[in-house]
Amino acid sequence: MVQISLPKNSEVKKGKYFKDKTGSKNLKKVNVYRWDPSTEENPRIDTYEVDMDNCPSKVLDILNKIKNEIDPTIAYRRSCAHGVCGSCAMNMGGKNGLACTTPHAEIDGDIDIYPLPHLKVKRDLIGDLDGLYKQYQSIEPWLKNNSTKQTTEIYQSKEDRAKLDGAYECIMCACCSTSCPSYWWNGDKYLGPAVLLQAYRWIVDSRDEERKARLKKVADELKLYRCHTILNCTNACPKGLNPAKAIAEIKKMLAMTNL
Amino acid sequence: MANKPLSPHIQIYKWHISSLVSISHRITGIINILAITLICFWIALILLGESNYELINFFLQTFIGKFILIGITWSFSFQMLSEIRHLIMDMGYGFELQTTKITGLLVIFGSIILTILIYLFGRGII
Repeated sequence: MVQISLPKNSEVKKGKYFKDKTGSKNLKKVNVYRWDPSTEENPRIDTYEVDMDNCPSKVLDILNKIKNEIDPTIAYRRSCAHGVCGSCAMNMGGKNGLACTTPHAEIDGDIDIYPLPHLKVKRDLIGDLDGLYKQYQSIEPWLKNNSTKQTTEIYQSKEDRAKLDGAYECIMCACCSTSCPSYWWNGDKYLGPAVLLQAYRWIVDSRDEERKARLKKVADELKLYRCHTILNCTNACPKGLNPAKAIAEIKKMLAMTNL
Repeated sequence: MANKPLSPHIQIYKWHISSLVSISHRITGIINILAITLICFWIALILLGESNYELINFFLQTFIGKFILIGITWSFSFQMLSEIRHLIMDMGYGFELQTTKITGLLVIFGSIILTILIYLFGRGII
């Protein structure tokens, strides 16, 4: 259901203000979404004045700086810091991306940092992605090749291998799915760009024998056709992939395949 | 723990050309349904007599009448161009970020230009 406004318990209140203590002249205001599960309080926005003279270039560096030097209670996911693991996906300056690959210089004015949109918040910047992982599981993202008893590798032509380019690089960070308004309103049924891109990746794999069954599975008014090419997904993808195009390709294959 | 809040979504997400065109496509679609209904009523009323025709004609000459007419023209223009963009996308073309920006802008400015052209054409200026 389309619900534009946030529920009562999710309305964001004004939070604490952390004044700069370093005396730096190059300050940036960083507004961070906070929610503490141990209290009954609503989420709030805490504002931090951060000394930019001693801060490396990425948004993740700002968060690390806040956690190490200003407020250790702030919680966020991060791991590799090189745009490979997908842990630090969040909404920065109104756009989803990986904090570790997003330069803070790209954001004008104050830097607003929120968790990925339209998720149940576990704490601060950590959203609950269980629903997305369940959907990922539902498309059975593994090779299905039951007819051959081959134990050696299955060869693939260069052309067939090239079909996987732009799909296999996905790191499942959920930036695309949580940027998609269709996924916000129908996330319980619509698979969303991240999962559909992976569905596409297995449908076009020449080694997979379940192509038709896979197509049949996603051929559903709600699972697939809720994509209205808003293109928030492609705009958000930190790996430069194009989920919207993959979804269009699935639609095209369905139009041309006799299931 | 059942009381987990929902993170902000449309309140904070930044708009860009494609999302603007997409939402406008929906809004103009709804306007067009209303407009077509209105036009049907208009034609039905004209069939009922000359006095009706004059009354409607008078209304359409007023500022509000003109505003509605030009608004409907724009709405139809926008829907048409945006639909062409969708058709091209349904064929699997035009998904590169740069292309989506250009086609989006073409739809926005094209709809305004088309509205002006239809207006000038209707007034017999061109």
